Amino acid sequence: MKHNSVSAIINLVEPWEQLEPLTTNRPVGTLPFGGRYRLIDFPLSSVTNAGIQNAMIISPRSGRSVADHLRSGNDWNLDTIRGGLFNFPYNDLSLIAPQKKETLVHHYYDNTILFLKRSNSEYTVIMGTRNICNIDLRALLRYHQERDNPVTTVYKSIDAKDSDPDTTVLQLTDNGMATAILPAASKNVVPNDNGKFAKSLNIYMMSTVDLIDILKEANERGDLISLENLMLQAVMQHSANAFEYTGYYANIHDIESYYDSSMSILEEDNFRSLFYSQRRIYTKVKNEIPTFFAKSSHVKGSLCGTGGYIEGKIDHSVIFRNVFINRKSQIKDSVIMQGTRIGAGTKVENAIIDKNVVIGPNLQLKGTPENPLVIGKGKRIFQQTEVSNE
Amino acid sequence: MNENNEMLAIILAGGQGSRLGKLTKSTAKPAIPFGGRYRIIDFTLSNCANSGINTVGVITQYQPLELNAHIGNGSSWGLDDQMGGVTVLQPFSSTEGEKFFEGTAHAIYQNIEYIDQQNPKYLLVLSGDHIYKMDYEAMLDYHKAKKASLTVGVIPVSPEEAKRFGMMNTDETDRIIEFEEKPEHPKSNKASMGIYIFNWATLRNYLVNSFSTNNELEDFGKNVIPMYLANNESAYAYSFDGYWRDVGTIQSLWQANMEFLSPYNSLNIGDHNWRINSKAQVLPPMYLTSTSNINNSMIVDSCYVAGEVDHSILSQRVSIGAGSKVVDSMIMPGATIGKNAVVDHALVGEEAVIGDDAVVKGTEDDIAVVGYGEVLGVKKS
Repeated sequence: MKHNSVSAIINLVEPWEQLEPLTTNRPVGTLPFGGRYRLIDFPLSSVTNAGIQNAMIISPRSGRSVADHLRSGNDWNLDTIRGGLFNFPYNDLSLIAPQKKETLVHHYYDNTILFLKRSNSEYTVIMGTRNICNIDLRALLRYHQERDNPVTTVYKSIDAKDSDPDTTVLQLTDNGMATAILPAASKNVVPNDNGKFAKSLNIYMMSTVDLIDILKEANERGDLISLENLMLQAVMQHSANAFEYTGYYANIHDIESYYDSSMSILEEDNFRSLFYSQRRIYTKVKNEIPTFFAKSSHVKGSLCGTGGYIEGKIDHSVIFRNVFINRKSQIKDSVIMQGTRIGAGTKVENAIIDKNVVIGPNLQLKGTPENPLVIGKGKRIFQQTEVSNE
Repeated sequence: MNENNEMLAIILAGGQGSRLGKLTKSTAKPAIPFGGRYRIIDFTLSNCANSGINTVGVITQYQPLELNAHIGNGSSWGLDDQMGGVTVLQPFSSTEGEKFFEGTAHAIYQNIEYIDQQNPKYLLVLSGDHIYKMDYEAMLDYHKAKKASLTVGVIPVSPEEAKRFGMMNTDETDRIIEFEEKPEHPKSNKASMGIYIFNWATLRNYLVNSFSTNNELEDFGKNVIPMYLANNESAYAYSFDGYWRDVGTIQSLWQANMEFLSPYNSLNIGDHNWRINSKAQVLPPMYLTSTSNINNSMIVDSCYVAGEVDHSILSQRVSIGAGSKVVDSMIMPGATIGKNAVVDHALVGEEAVIGDDAVVKGTEDDIAVVGYGEVLGVKKS
């Protein structure tokens, strides 16, 4: 075992129901974000930037979009002769048939144990994807090594009033140790004197040997609970060191939070903090041509990917790769994903339009900031009557 | 060589490109950025990959660092093939002396060991400094059909342009009967593109015999083609009628960039069936602030635009400050333009810095050039 070596588990089994229709055919982890990324790019880039060469991806379903995005892991330096990227599909217990479930009792954690044993690593970090951050995992490892508890978890200090149904909060002792992680809505959870919550970012660092023990015990008990819940139990059982993260952060748990986070990245400070820190964000490499801005185009305060063709007006929006915005169309406060085409004279406001959608000419697509209009992947809309929020 | 790669491609990328002045002071011409997210050699490398050629040797000599880093193992073009791949060929020393080269044919002779190792039936010789899309497989089919010993790619040019090219005079079967270098009174409109297919065994004999008898065949145009014609080898002209530009001068490099300024350009750059690939860097999307004003321009990843951009190309990591105006220009990767500056009819080199209020102004006939890493108009504090 190489001293200080770390392996990573990226857990894509995350709540997705509130993000439909964006998550109808993809896990939360492959949701497009920030003009050219997927949510999984953020934890994976943290892994890359820490020099970690072993990563396990736990996918809820078939993981087609996951495999398509990650391929060999080359784009994250994960296809080296040491280590690599290991994809494990079909882990969403709610989708597994009852007969199949029976065979999983005492074996549900076998794959993870196998991965950890073969990784030959000294430590393991477990991360989800719905908390967007750009964390220094080397600093987290040092923090863990300097402290006594077997588990180290990560929080972001937020105003208690900014918590949402997905928020879970670290219960901190006076000397900064976490004794439990509880939903913000529980009645025993109260903000500190400054009105702040220590919001959990769902990141755990521990020794690989300890993690294997936790998984083996869960197998012996016959547990069929998610890795995320297993970690919550481990914190309650052992207490955890609590590491504070202070950089850009966003939590994606429903359509409104996805929309708000997308808009927040248009603020220059947030954009620079997430994308231009010492730690770069990596994603799947594509060879698109430069984006062309025609004479009639008018683009303000927006992010654009490459391969686009822009004739219309874009204001305060996130435009992904290969998007066509035709003449006299107006895009305002919206997210337009890869490969989508907006017809001439069409107005889009407070909307999220998924990949490869075609919107005909002279239509009105309007949502509100609190309830953005969402158009699902691959939709064809040519008449006003076909415009409806899904 | 297995039957899938009977033809080996050699790209000549070692020339200094001195007519590009400041731009090639510290880098080779084929590594010069083009069209926002490409380097000149990407067109030739992509053509090879798209033509089904999977073994490519790139001969370098002058300032090869940036070029080597760009080519890497060829994976950016899908050329990191189990059966072939890209090999960068650099001058080396041996018991016979140092293998630097003087002319194009000499470059092939100095790398004869590499070519023998690949054992190709046909040798495709290419330049690394042209902007075009061409199917070399179709040219090979033509070469075979004509039972040729040499096939030269030619492009139609006007009598005026012909004065700058090597011209091929052919009979009615397209067999080359005469070659004229930069003729004052051209007899045909067929200009050599510097693209050749040779039967390797024949060319090898000529090169070995001539260099061992001091009758040196240094250059394909000056020496090899005349010798082929003198010896009555079957040499044919293969006509290409697509978009093709030699970008060897400041003027032609700027002109080709301006012609590139539309996804529906003559090169049809957006055609997914003949993609031009490049070494892709993962960078954040472009950020266009509320003060930006962009017309008729091409912009790529990681650009930051707060000023005005009109009929120009911005490469990766270019930053344009508020109040600045960039017109009819091509800005290379990493260049920074401050506030209230003017850049007009210019080529701005990589990592150049143009300070606040600075003015870089060229004209259509005299393009302004800012060199790599050059710093202009920044007040010393």
